[in-house]
Amino acid sequence: MAGLDPLIHAPTRLQLVTTLSAVSEAEFATVRAALDVSDSVLSKHVSALVEAGYLHSRKGVHAGRRTTWIGLTPAGRKALHEHVAALRRVIDAVE
Amino acid sequence: MESRRDPLTAADDARRRLTAGLRLPTGFSPALATGVAVQVGAAAYGIAAQTATGVAVALAGVAVFLGVAALLLHRFSRINGVRVDGLASQVVLAAGARASVAYLGALAVGIVAAFGSRWWLVAVAAVAAGVGCALGVRRWWHDYRHDPAAHARGASPRVLAVLAVVACLGCAALLVLG
Repeated sequence: MAGLDPLIHAPTRLQLVTTLSAVSEAEFATVRAALDVSDSVLSKHVSALVEAGYLHSRKGVHAGRRTTWIGLTPAGRKALHEHVAALRRVIDAVE
Repeated sequence: MESRRDPLTAADDARRRLTAGLRLPTGFSPALATGVAVQVGAAAYGIAAQTATGVAVALAGVAVFLGVAALLLHRFSRINGVRVDGLASQVVLAAGARASVAYLGALAVGIVAAFGSRWWLVAVAAVAAGVGCALGVRRWWHDYRHDPAAHARGASPRVLAVLAVVACLGCAALLVLG
């Protein structure tokens, strides 16, 4: 399907990048709670999207403990925008 | 029909779960208003004094404001587990149109008043600047909660730090050369 991005088409990945579009960076546990997924699932998706250049991640500190902060890159934001537009076109065509 | 929108709805719901829990730290607006008021009052005094002491007072005002801003943004990040550059831009740069007008207008009034040694008016202008900026951030926060994706972006912490250094150097240069 033209315009749909296979890297963020999976529901959890779409939720991940959509959630991150609301902030500049979010702490790993905060995102995990918003998505209601396990550490390992989130970690796997974050790694894949970091490798694709859609997310950036860095080690940091939150509430006195070491953690990972993640955020959308400009490429990730653009990919999300284009994917959602394509998804809406598909839905409109079906309807 | 609704089920076909599920991927987008689920994604929006996840984003809503994150943003619905975001809170400004307790005392955010009064602290920001105080920081801005101190900075404007110090700048007005410093510019009018045109002495080395004036430069020191103006720079101290900037330092107080930046310290308050950094503390507020750190507390926001600590209690929410997120960083929002749009908020940082609103706090440090008074990026909203109304906040900018309130800040620049009050600063101008404060400077003119300081040259005339009308210190009560300097105080009024400083408080007006603080209240204007705090209300501007509140307004932005309301808009952000309504549409977070459209308002999340802003100057990065690195850019804000560079701008703060440039502002301090510019302020010092103007006062020294003037």
